[in-house]
Amino acid sequence: MDERLEKALDVSNYMATLYNQKRSFQEKFYQDLVYYYEGAQFTVTKELISFCNIMLEKDQDELVLIDDNETPVQILNLKLFLENIINTYFTASNNYINNYNRIKKQRTIENLVEL
Amino acid sequence: MSNNSGVLLFARNNTKVDYLKQAYFLAKQVKKILNLPTTVVTDSKDYLLKSFPDAEKVFDKILSISWSKNNNNVDFVVGKDENHFYKTYSDGTIFKTKLEFKNNLRSTAFRISPYNETLLLDTDILLLDNLYKHCFTQDHDFLIYDKSYDLAGFRNYSEFQYVSDIGVKFYWATAIFFRKTEKNKIFFELVEHIQDNWHHYKSIFQIKQSYFRNDHAFSIAIHIMNGYNDGDFAKLMPGKLYFTTDKDICHSIKDDKVIFLLEKENYIGEYTLMSWQGVTIHVMNKFSLNRCIDMVNQNV
Repeated sequence: MDERLEKALDVSNYMATLYNQKRSFQEKFYQDLVYYYEGAQFTVTKELISFCNIMLEKDQDELVLIDDNETPVQILNLKLFLENIINTYFTASNNYINNYNRIKKQRTIENLVEL
Repeated sequence: MSNNSGVLLFARNNTKVDYLKQAYFLAKQVKKILNLPTTVVTDSKDYLLKSFPDAEKVFDKILSISWSKNNNNVDFVVGKDENHFYKTYSDGTIFKTKLEFKNNLRSTAFRISPYNETLLLDTDILLLDNLYKHCFTQDHDFLIYDKSYDLAGFRNYSEFQYVSDIGVKFYWATAIFFRKTEKNKIFFELVEHIQDNWHHYKSIFQIKQSYFRNDHAFSIAIHIMNGYNDGDFAKLMPGKLYFTTDKDICHSIKDDKVIFLLEKENYIGEYTLMSWQGVTIHVMNKFSLNRCIDMVNQNV
């Protein structure tokens, strides 16, 4: 095989695996963003955090939110709820960046997937 | 969570695939990760006890079933004739074989389950996180997946959105949570009715697959329970259902990390690597899953 093509194919396999790993970490991040409160399921988003924060700044202690199953849920302690969803977001995003940084420096397929 | 909660598995081997091996492996994961008991329903209880001597410790209950009313030496008699379906099982993109697909007991889960709160799982689920524990603490009585994510990324599965081009919304019967309520009893009886009259419903809902699929029967039943409309009889299982198909290969399992060889688009026999960690996944390549389980068991 032409050496130039062989090198390109090596790089292409590496790039495909790198892309797979990035998707794997991204999906783990989405899964880690799910937060459970009193039997209700919320996917933590920046929008949810901002909204709760604004309501708290407007001196709202309680709030009704619509969860992932389109069910209304009474949040009785908004301050605590906000702390918990921020914590969920930080944990998920920190895991994501740690995983991402780990593979960023890897130059072989074996190291990318830690075979 | 009630004190009568658990996981229910159906495991019926065919000539090549050992579903009981998967069930045994999954039951151990369930105990370790979810701290829940597991009941397995099988027509090969003797084989299970012979192959896995500690099976009675791993499983909360081992329920033997028979289709024939004449067999009284079992825990559960289905009491009707079994339909035999065959489907193609692949092991990666090159090897494939046609085998018996014994999937027609799932609709009896409500009748068989010894639990008030049941998590019904396929045996080829690799349990890698504890997300399912939230099923038992939420308020809804019936949960199922409608969203899924194929790890290979490029495959277009419109069949996993709707049962057919003009059909109803697709739901996965792979993982279901239900409580023993009157409404759920009606639902499962409806699924059994659909299964008993499969050729009729297959025709009405324009389903092309030649073999019976629980996903389709459950999807149709949900549609009917919703008044032949979109509705909210079924709520969603936590997170997404991640899966690899039988065109992909499960290479190895170590703790909560799995290495997959994913089918490469347009290159038959070639794969790309992916490591997957800490998120539960449905592994459809039964052959490679069983090889990995063997490797894990050897290393214990």
